[in-house]
Amino acid sequence: MKLAPVDYLILAIYFGFVLGIGWRLRKSVESSRDFLTSGRSVPVWITSLAFLAANLGAQEVIGMSASGAKYGIMTAHFYWIGAVPAMLFVGVFMMPFYYGSRARSVPEYLKLRFDEKTRGLNALTFAVMTVFSSGISMYALGLLLQLVLGWSFTASVLLSAAIVLIYTFLGGLTSAIYNEVLQFFLIVLGFAPLAIMSVVKAGGWSGMETRLPSVMTHSWKYMGDASQNPMGVEVFSMVAGLGFVLSFGYWCTDFLVVQRAMAADSMSAARRTPLIAAFPKMMMPFIVIVPGIAALAIAKMNIGYALPLKGDGYDYDQAFTTLMSHFYPSGMLGVGLTALMASFMSGMAGNVTAFNTVFTYDIYQGYIHKGAPDAHYLRVGRITTVVGTVLSIMTAYLAQHYNNIMDLLQLVFGFVNAPLFATFLLGMFWRRTTGHGAFTGLLTGTAAAALTHGLSVAEHKGGWIAPLHQFPSTMAQNFWIAIFAWTSCFLVTIVVSLLTKPRPAEELQGLVYGLTKVPHDVGVSWYRKPGPVAVLVIAVLLFLNFWFR
Amino acid sequence: MLDLRSSTGWLFALLGVILMALGVFDPGLRASLTDLNVNLYCGIVMLAFGGVMLLLARKHS
Repeated sequence: MKLAPVDYLILAIYFGFVLGIGWRLRKSVESSRDFLTSGRSVPVWITSLAFLAANLGAQEVIGMSASGAKYGIMTAHFYWIGAVPAMLFVGVFMMPFYYGSRARSVPEYLKLRFDEKTRGLNALTFAVMTVFSSGISMYALGLLLQLVLGWSFTASVLLSAAIVLIYTFLGGLTSAIYNEVLQFFLIVLGFAPLAIMSVVKAGGWSGMETRLPSVMTHSWKYMGDASQNPMGVEVFSMVAGLGFVLSFGYWCTDFLVVQRAMAADSMSAARRTPLIAAFPKMMMPFIVIVPGIAALAIAKMNIGYALPLKGDGYDYDQAFTTLMSHFYPSGMLGVGLTALMASFMSGMAGNVTAFNTVFTYDIYQGYIHKGAPDAHYLRVGRITTVVGTVLSIMTAYLAQHYNNIMDLLQLVFGFVNAPLFATFLLGMFWRRTTGHGAFTGLLTGTAAAALTHGLSVAEHKGGWIAPLHQFPSTMAQNFWIAIFAWTSCFLVTIVVSLLTKPRPAEELQGLVYGLTKVPHDVGVSWYRKPGPVAVLVIAVLLFLNFWFR
Repeated sequence: MLDLRSSTGWLFALLGVILMALGVFDPGLRASLTDLNVNLYCGIVMLAFGGVMLLLARKHS
């Protein structure tokens, strides 16, 4: 892929705009709350798009189009069964407790609801995980730009990190959120033309159906048995493992996304944030997955496009970028590349802002230095932003040299994350749940995840205790690990809670179902109420699942 | 506080104008798999989107 001067000009204009937004928002930061939580003042359309964009890293764009080329439209399960139902749940049922508790972060909610140790465990693992995942996506970006453009790894990593650092340092969470919205529009307007042109080239959906095996164009038809589909996953582990445990665990408890909703200017806006975000989320498969499928179809047409090879198979990760260089001339190519950089930056800014809030409020103010004046925590928040970015860059280099360590870390993070949703579900909806119960449940769930991995094998992964069971794919293995982790956390939390002393009801006001007043929006139009918006989302969701069955 | 609609509007209007200019003055600029003047059409869409954002910003200010 060769860039012309105009492509660099477009990239530079975009960088100028994001820095300009940070510069102009710097005056809105007067307290640590302004810097770390936006002072709960952001309009709902902005929080919604930021909610979506913070999760939409470059890895997702590249990875989802790669999965599209590899597994077909079945990849859309990650959206239509995975993300969207969980987004509905967090908006309708969980946001009243997050927003109503006045907690500034998800770990802080755990402290209010349970106890100090549960919060400490969550805050520490979350802080470490966010820094590492931002470093890993930085590594992926550097690698990709090196591969397709021949840019130096160091230059692209340092430049993109510096820009994210400057605008988050200046304007805090508000600046990150505002830029995420800009990034979202750029992603849609920069990638949608590629999706349209590649599908038209492949002869539309029906052309893709005739050129590709039937399994590539059906999302449900081949899910009955794991051996029938290329993912090696059957319908139960797809729905329970991905749809329920993993997706609810991510969208309902991960502070990176929840933080965006908590920055909204009212309870109703906070609840509608994930619901409004669900609409563009449902459409993302058409922009990121479908081009991958189209790439495979176009490659079969012998018209001068071929998927690059890697070893003895296709290099699916290059599907998206090669497609871009075959459809976009200089100019639009610059926009497409800028959109890719933008998606990376939105993901990284999400990690950085979530990290600095959890570190400042839950670790620094919680355990290192309590009771200082607010200006002190604002300063700590700013310093943490710099430290978090530097740590991410170091992780990116670590990933470049020690790939195995990174794989191991991601595996361990998966074990820690898998049981989380059980803790939140019980904590929010069963007032009898105790801090001891939650803490023991989390530890047991993590152990159960590790145990499942140690006792099963898939694609030569796992089985380090004893290879008792063979899974058809690592994806199936991951889903089952999540199911076992969630179930054991759920059961152990209940048993230990029943054996320990519950907290009195008056301490749980605003934190638990039944003891929290959810304000009813009287006299506003239906589309400003969470309920009707959620029903509309469900209708569209059912239609998409049915249409692409 | 900063109105995000106007920043978004200006960015996409500017990108749209650049792409349209490319499409008009260098219409031969094509990628290998398409005969469309991609820059021109995408430029028009971006300029229109930017314009709508700027209009919305003006209406609310």
